[in-house]
Amino acid sequence: MSDRVLLTDSLHARVGESTSYTAPEPLGRASIRYFSLAVGDLNPIYTDDEAARSAGLDGVVAPPTLITETNQYMTGSRDVDGYLGHSWHLDVPNSRLVRGGNTYEFAQYATPEDIITATWTIADMTERRTSKDVPMLVVTSQAVYTNQRAEIICTNTETLVYTSLGPAATPRAAGEA
Amino acid sequence: MSPLRTPDVGDQAPELIRTIELPDMIAYAGSTWDWHRLHYDHEYLAAKKLPAPVVDGQVFGAYLVEQLQDWLGPRAFVRRLEFRFKNLVFAGETVACRSIVTGVRESSGAVVLTLDCEVSVTGERARVAVGPASAEVRLAP
Repeated sequence: MSDRVLLTDSLHARVGESTSYTAPEPLGRASIRYFSLAVGDLNPIYTDDEAARSAGLDGVVAPPTLITETNQYMTGSRDVDGYLGHSWHLDVPNSRLVRGGNTYEFAQYATPEDIITATWTIADMTERRTSKDVPMLVVTSQAVYTNQRAEIICTNTETLVYTSLGPAATPRAAGEA
Repeated sequence: MSPLRTPDVGDQAPELIRTIELPDMIAYAGSTWDWHRLHYDHEYLAAKKLPAPVVDGQVFGAYLVEQLQDWLGPRAFVRRLEFRFKNLVFAGETVACRSIVTGVRESSGAVVLTLDCEVSVTGERARVAVGPASAEVRLAP
């Protein structure tokens, strides 16, 4: 008999599930400049064609991590928390969600002309125990970002951790978006 | 400033220090279309027993890319970035990004660096925000 607390059969059946979002328009120079300013990264390859060409590029490019946010490819409405982006909407009762980490593999820069498609897949779900013996569900997802020529720009492996709300639950795990 | 030579194992990138104030967070939220209340809504945060708006952890990936590219110059391309979130960072806090070269090799005519990275909160409540973290950077010939 399984001693799993959080990883139900119905949750586990979702491993392999996949969904895609395609931006309705090219990434655009304004989007790139906005992100660069917001981050404070004034590298001229993001805003100045001449500087980009001097760096061996065809023209300005996007900061690598800009395209890894899926919100910008959505066309729906925000939820009650204000969130617009991709979610698996996993039903994990009596738990708290925190993002564990990301691994980005960049194949090339995205350009202003690129129309990005993000394809998310649930790669794995595993139940473990924290150091304080609290059950936690680790969900591993992978996003593949491609352009309009189906060329891969980036892959993003992300872990989400659902921790059971027991006596050992800590405030810092209160769900980072 | 970019190094004049290919870095060696043990070389460190100049620290990138950034104080993240609420307007910076709002700008980042807008630029990434991420309007989650966690990043600005004090009533929402109070209900979650969080002391202040939470910095979007994804921004630390952008800081690490900025640090490495500013150091290594225009021939650098960050191929891989891996990081774990250790602690939340709140509006008004200052973070320091540190990266140190752990490997140098050649691949297809280019130099490939591997680096260990970390993002830490400085000040009275000093703590690791992101770590362990690592990067791989290709330096074009």
